[in-house]
Amino acid sequence: MATREELSEFLAGVERRAFKQAVFAVRDESHALDIVQDAMMKIAENYGDRPAAELPPLFTRILQNAIHDFFRRSKVRSTWVTLFSSLTPENEPDADPLETLEASGDTRTESTETSYEREQVVAIIEEEVARLPARQREAFLLRYWEDLDTAETAAAMGCSEGSVKTHCSRATHALAKALRERGITL
Amino acid sequence: MNQDEFGFRVRQALNDGAERLDYRTVLRLEQARSRALARQRRTGPATVRLPALQLATAGAPPVDEGRGAWGWVRGAGLVAPLVALAIGFVAISHWQEELEIKRLAALDFAVLLDEGPLEAYADRVFSVLLQDEQQAER
Repeated sequence: MATREELSEFLAGVERRAFKQAVFAVRDESHALDIVQDAMMKIAENYGDRPAAELPPLFTRILQNAIHDFFRRSKVRSTWVTLFSSLTPENEPDADPLETLEASGDTRTESTETSYEREQVVAIIEEEVARLPARQREAFLLRYWEDLDTAETAAAMGCSEGSVKTHCSRATHALAKALRERGITL
Repeated sequence: MNQDEFGFRVRQALNDGAERLDYRTVLRLEQARSRALARQRRTGPATVRLPALQLATAGAPPVDEGRGAWGWVRGAGLVAPLVALAIGFVAISHWQEELEIKRLAALDFAVLLDEGPLEAYADRVFSVLLQDEQQAER
């Protein structure tokens, strides 16, 4: 059974990558945080008594399910929003534009040109990863970011290993092409 | 560059990006982690709702372990029904005793005043009572 410390250490190790994956998928940081929180809650509540070694694949599966659930809920919600769109204001009346400006502000203090360029490259790569088709992105990230093998990726995605290989290959080519077009060569 | 090498380089960039999250996001992730840890499931049988009577057994597992400051409330919630049940038993017993005393007193009065109906002497319980009284007098 995973101790509290083991679970804490595990979650601390995966939470940033989980958040980024959720951002790539839903393209909204607030929703991404909710998704990661849901996934953390579920693994702690339902699988907190499992050995620490079993946690990574479980968390991967839970996170992917949470992302899929988000899209399912969004689909239902958008149906209702479309039906009642005339009743809801387009913008919150008391929304402060400075809040958004502040939220997107950068608190980093790096000032060298190299680190700035590196930052720009990372941002472009993240943009292009986010633009990949959902299944390709999911397969690519699980395979190369989460470092799962083909079988584990297939299990997490609920598809065949052949599909994983196809998705990864297409994602790699699409990503390489997109980055090349933006002047980035890895 | 092959696919794996490309994937590895993208991975490095993504890791770099994940390390540069703004402090508010990092803070919210930490808070989410803390909330999740507070609700961590312990060993299977320990967190299953135990019958209240098992709380009194010596080997009872700590059901409120890791539940935070409100763990004692959960414990009290399990013990309270037992206490209420015990109080209920005592109250019902006392009430029944009072009823029996009143019934016997009424019977005694009826006998003393010679107002007992004839049917009373045919009643099995009444005859047993008379026998008991006779035996006691001897």
